[in-house]
Amino acid sequence: MPIPVDALLKKKEHFDRGEHDPRSEDFHHELFKLEEQGEWIVHRAPDPIVPVETKYGVIKKIPKAHLWHHKSCGQCGHIPGYSTSIFWVMRKLGYDYNDPRDQTSCTAWNYYASATSNAAAQAAVAMRNFAAAYETGYFPLIHCGTSYGHYKEVREELMHHPELRAQVREIMGKLGKQMVMPEEIVHYSEWFYAMRHEIAAQQVRDFSGIAATVHPACHYYKLVEGDAIYDPDVYGGQRTAIVTGVAEALGAEVRNYSTWFDCCGFGFRHILVQRDFTRSFATLRKIERMKEEADPDVVLTHDTGCVTTLDKSQFAAMAHGRNVGVPVMSEAQFAALAMGAHPYKVCQLHWHSADYRPLLEKMGIDWEAAWAEFQQDLKRLESGEKQYLTWEDVG
Amino acid sequence: MPETIAVIGGGPAGLEAARSVADLGGPVVLIEKESFLGGTPIRENYAALTPNMESAEVAMGRLVDGVNAAGVEVLLEHEVTACEGEAPDFRLTVKGASGERVIECGGIIVATGFEHFDPGRETQMYGYYEHPDVLALQDLEAMLKDHNVVRPSTGLPPERICFVQCVGSRDRQIGNEYCSKVCCGVASKEAIEVRQQVPGCQVFIFYIDMRMYGYWENQIYWPAQEEHHVQYVKGIITEVLKKGDKLLVRGEDTTMGRPMEVTMDMVILSVGMEPSAGTRAMSRILGIEPNKYGFIEVSNPPLDTVSTSRRGIWACGASLGPADLEDCASSGGAAAMKALAFLRRKPVPVN
Repeated sequence: MPIPVDALLKKKEHFDRGEHDPRSEDFHHELFKLEEQGEWIVHRAPDPIVPVETKYGVIKKIPKAHLWHHKSCGQCGHIPGYSTSIFWVMRKLGYDYNDPRDQTSCTAWNYYASATSNAAAQAAVAMRNFAAAYETGYFPLIHCGTSYGHYKEVREELMHHPELRAQVREIMGKLGKQMVMPEEIVHYSEWFYAMRHEIAAQQVRDFSGIAATVHPACHYYKLVEGDAIYDPDVYGGQRTAIVTGVAEALGAEVRNYSTWFDCCGFGFRHILVQRDFTRSFATLRKIERMKEEADPDVVLTHDTGCVTTLDKSQFAAMAHGRNVGVPVMSEAQFAALAMGAHPYKVCQLHWHSADYRPLLEKMGIDWEAAWAEFQQDLKRLESGEKQYLTWEDVG
Repeated sequence: MPETIAVIGGGPAGLEAARSVADLGGPVVLIEKESFLGGTPIRENYAALTPNMESAEVAMGRLVDGVNAAGVEVLLEHEVTACEGEAPDFRLTVKGASGERVIECGGIIVATGFEHFDPGRETQMYGYYEHPDVLALQDLEAMLKDHNVVRPSTGLPPERICFVQCVGSRDRQIGNEYCSKVCCGVASKEAIEVRQQVPGCQVFIFYIDMRMYGYWENQIYWPAQEEHHVQYVKGIITEVLKKGDKLLVRGEDTTMGRPMEVTMDMVILSVGMEPSAGTRAMSRILGIEPNKYGFIEVSNPPLDTVSTSRRGIWACGASLGPADLEDCASSGGAAAMKALAFLRRKPVPVN
């Protein structure tokens, strides 16, 4: 009994996920059950909390203050204005934090490049950092998208594999640390999203004339994809609301482009062993598409690898006369600029490759004067008057 | 002790089980919830069967004729709602339009089959519910059966079609880590049929690796390439977007290690197998253990392929997991034999 095409189309009109959808199950139940069984301590997210909705409806608690900053290797090494901006905004909003000196690298970069390690070692590194945060009383806030995505995967593995917990427990015993799992694994960009209205309330520069494109970090929303923030008011809830929500709250116009879901080109393995591929991908598939389809003033993203790849790949394509040349920065730097941060002392845009000066002019920032101020500070360092700049120097 | 065997499900495995019991002289009742026999191949309008290309209607009709000729009592539009007692004295409650009835039986064979994976649950962005021209294997089967392979969006024959393999199978994110066994063969078979029915259409198959079990390699895979010029591309598709009046298919060509973008008129998702609602329900009602995916667990693998966790109940076909038609017919026969042997086995005399 053949069926007509109309019947096929009718069948495809509506998708019913059914009564039981495991994706919308709240993993917190398992988290706390394991605590009751003595498997680990759950590090509670401290008040005050901003509740936000994740992809399948599970509510995530984003703490406003008392945060332990788990920094990013590449951020500190290549684009220090990124993490400085995170700290600066948090200070401006009056929320306390802890900038630890004993945090280790998550080692996930090599892991995702298939270069090193094993499940127990990876999980032990994560638990070691969680325990270190717990000992201070501050709640972890992860700066790096890869550390964040990786830790979420580690949490899944630990929740579902008792034999892995046993291995990690033995390692933690040797380190003299407890088994601690945070109630939430929070990325800094989730904090910015949760705080976007407080940030906008302290905005001193008008961004209404700024057009931005957003690149979402794969490791933010493609790993353990359910635990990423989605908002019905941003992209109709069909894409993660991170970064876009902040840019829109600051009055910028966010423009769409067709390769939104694509990787920035970093690719972990590629940046290590096929860097030419990374450069081509970043410029030809991301930056050029954005330029052709959206012509943005700035590209905003929220991960170390994405900022460096999208920004620092452009010089090679520019030498070949390609249609590139857009400044790239994190939404943390963008928000800091909106709140009046110094483009060099705080946001440290001189570490970025693509020309950001036209953007600063559009923001109403006299970059020449700002650069002169920064040079004055450097002279103070050269003269030995100061060893390094402090928060008092940057305003 | 009742000698009747109850067979639940009238698809390929259930039909073969019922016919086998009857052929061996056992009383048998075949319970089918639909108004027809033949199971998924008939309900989903399969065109030709893999690998021999015989019409599904003809092949399944032959099985149905066998059941009727053997004198099997068939209850159409009946569902099992309860089971009481222990082997060999089961009392099975079945419900139909005319009301409830209790069947006293010595053994039960479950043949409730599978259902196609719903592509709406796919984590890759294939857009089955978004784009009219993105279809699943069974949708194309219906078109092939109707000899009307057209783009649903335009009603015109396609010029370029691609198949995307392993949709809902071999996928840890979804929780279906298993291979569904038949999709590579079925996609290749459909690819050949498209080339036969729409000769001007280019056909591509994007795959992780082609799993052509046993003789399918020579029966389907090589003829598809050598005789019908189907193009196999090793690559993973991640996204299907609309571009003008075409579909833009994005993914990675894993041989070249490069991203790829190709336009297609139609995209066919090679959806895998999941336990049917009937299989899940029988597991619950009959109290037989399912495996982690919801299929019925075999209690003594690998050499006993049909015994379940409960004495006097056997399962066969795709209720046990992904299965091709050969598996279904074989396990249907094996279940019939086990059930009859269980009821007829004479006690060993004690001296």
